[in-house]
Amino acid sequence: MRRGIRSRAEETRAYWAMILPAFILYMLVLAFPIILSIVLSLSNYNGGQLFGGAQHWKITGFQQYERLVNDPQFWLALKNNIYIVIASIFGQLPLGFIFAYLIYRRIVKFGDFWQGVIYMPAIISTIVLGIMWSVIFSPTGLIADVLNKAYANSFSQSLAQIFHQAGGFTVNDDIVKKILGVSDPKALTVFANPAADLKTMLLTYQPGQLTVMSSDLTNLLARKWTPDFLAKQDLAMLPIMFVVVWCWTGMYLILFLANMQKIDPQLLEAARIDGAGEGQVMGWIVLPLLSGVIVNSAILCIAGSLNSFALIWAMTQGGPARVTELLSIYMYTNAFVGAPNFPLANAIAMSIVIFSVVLIVATKLVEKRYGGKE
Amino acid sequence: MRRTDSLPRRILGITGKVLAYLVMGIFAMMTIFPIIWLIINSFKSNAEYYLSKLALPHGLQFVNYSGAWNVGDFKELIGNSFIYTLGATIGIIFFSILAGFAFAKIQSKATPLIYGSFVMGILLSIQSLMVPLFIEVSQLDKLLGTLFQTLHLLKSAADFHLFYNSRVGVLLVYIGSGLPIALYLSTEYVKAIPTALVEAARIDGAGYFRIFRGIILPMSVPIATTVAILNITGIWNEFALINILVSKTGLKSIPLGVMRFSGTMMADYGKQFAALVIGMGPMLVFYIIFRKQITKGVSAGAIKG
Repeated sequence: MRRGIRSRAEETRAYWAMILPAFILYMLVLAFPIILSIVLSLSNYNGGQLFGGAQHWKITGFQQYERLVNDPQFWLALKNNIYIVIASIFGQLPLGFIFAYLIYRRIVKFGDFWQGVIYMPAIISTIVLGIMWSVIFSPTGLIADVLNKAYANSFSQSLAQIFHQAGGFTVNDDIVKKILGVSDPKALTVFANPAADLKTMLLTYQPGQLTVMSSDLTNLLARKWTPDFLAKQDLAMLPIMFVVVWCWTGMYLILFLANMQKIDPQLLEAARIDGAGEGQVMGWIVLPLLSGVIVNSAILCIAGSLNSFALIWAMTQGGPARVTELLSIYMYTNAFVGAPNFPLANAIAMSIVIFSVVLIVATKLVEKRYGGKE
Repeated sequence: MRRTDSLPRRILGITGKVLAYLVMGIFAMMTIFPIIWLIINSFKSNAEYYLSKLALPHGLQFVNYSGAWNVGDFKELIGNSFIYTLGATIGIIFFSILAGFAFAKIQSKATPLIYGSFVMGILLSIQSLMVPLFIEVSQLDKLLGTLFQTLHLLKSAADFHLFYNSRVGVLLVYIGSGLPIALYLSTEYVKAIPTALVEAARIDGAGYFRIFRGIILPMSVPIATTVAILNITGIWNEFALINILVSKTGLKSIPLGVMRFSGTMMADYGKQFAALVIGMGPMLVFYIIFRKQITKGVSAGAIKG
């Protein structure tokens, strides 16, 4: 009886006092921006004072969404986003699962070490990783350097062989033809008439200048690897998809491994005693037991890929020629690069939210449809 | 009964094992090699880098580091990074355990609705909301500025900044965005603390805040560690939000400084690489020291999605 009305009131007061700080902050950064985004995407507001004062913005309806649907750049960004989602779901998840399984079943030793190494990229700033990979993939980067050295090496070896067979440095049509044969067709376009021009060029060297000539020819005619796939629209996403898989596979490795370790070991032992092979243990016991976790991971994957911004921003800034723009970058450039277009940017923000909700609901439906008990 | 002593103890054949090591080894190599390559090349001069990208440096060019340190203004940024990371992490822990306690141990009709809204927020990342968020914070500044001006607390509303270009603003946004998952974890954790403990303290006449300080908070150290681990790397590395919230150099964090070194057309590779190493160094050290806890935190924190 002592804890009557007063206690009840104190309880309610304490409840709200404890919840409100978190709730207000949450409203501030999540709920309120969503409402703002919905309203502004239907308006012509493009900067200036939003509340009070002379209102110079009004609701204009679905104009921005109409513009969005008719913008080929929007569809390209959406396609690129889907590429990222695909790379995540069909790259990170299966690889993470396989690595986790190898460690869990002690098929590979030093599981702790592998896990530690593979998870490492996830704790490094995506800005650092994005810049690092853009350098590695660049025309002056690591891959180009290694490949070009290999190409140059093999070219100068073929040259040496050609002249060795000819018995020293002589210039005749046969040798010119052989050199043309090992040259990069793309490099030969510097000549108007390759056979004749190359012969003229070779004749300018003195007989004792074999090494000089050889290195000149290598520089000029050996195959060169240029990462031109970055400039091709359909291939430009490949390095980005690779880095996305590279970066976050470790997270799913940890997730899957932690859940595998919860499986009753006797279950697997019994299956082994009954003569089940490793593949059967994986397919019939571990995989079904983890299906709930896998679905949740897929949802994490989708949410993460749709929101990825920093990694790709640091890698390509949406370039070259905007072919690697994702929805988030498309939104960012519309709002903050050049003349701002806030209404369109808000419409893009809404489309990202809608898109992720649709994908997540679809994943949940797939889970319902095909079972998957936790 | 089947005899089990003839059971093959080998789990996979030798080919399977070799294949397993190969796949694992290649992936791990791809992870570790670029990072080591980056560190090695950060000590090379530009000429050395152009000559060979794979050779070891002849001498250690520490000048790359001092150069990058100055160009990137890292002296200023590193302090900010510490303030944002520690401040936001402590804020997230405190507010999430506080609200988690209320959700778990105080009966209220409002709980399902409010708690549910938090759980929904786990999947909505505010990176996709950076444009409305930017508009919101700048408008809030204008509103508050005008309010304070009419109350004669301020001379001019134009340079009033609580949210945009302000450390407080960054901290508030970081705390808010970290709350959903932290709150979910804390609530589930506090639910597992015996209610009898709380009730006994209530009978002794303790108020809820005293119970929070005296019982709940000390018992929540494990979940606080998990939440901290989940947030420290994320906040230290955060880029998208602070990129739009802050334009003054004095308020920026390390990732923004590193971004200055982006682009492959940088004339000075040594400096660029040094900046990247400065950018990843602290978290790499953090990871090496706390790897076990980080691994545990990640698996605990993401289980439900």
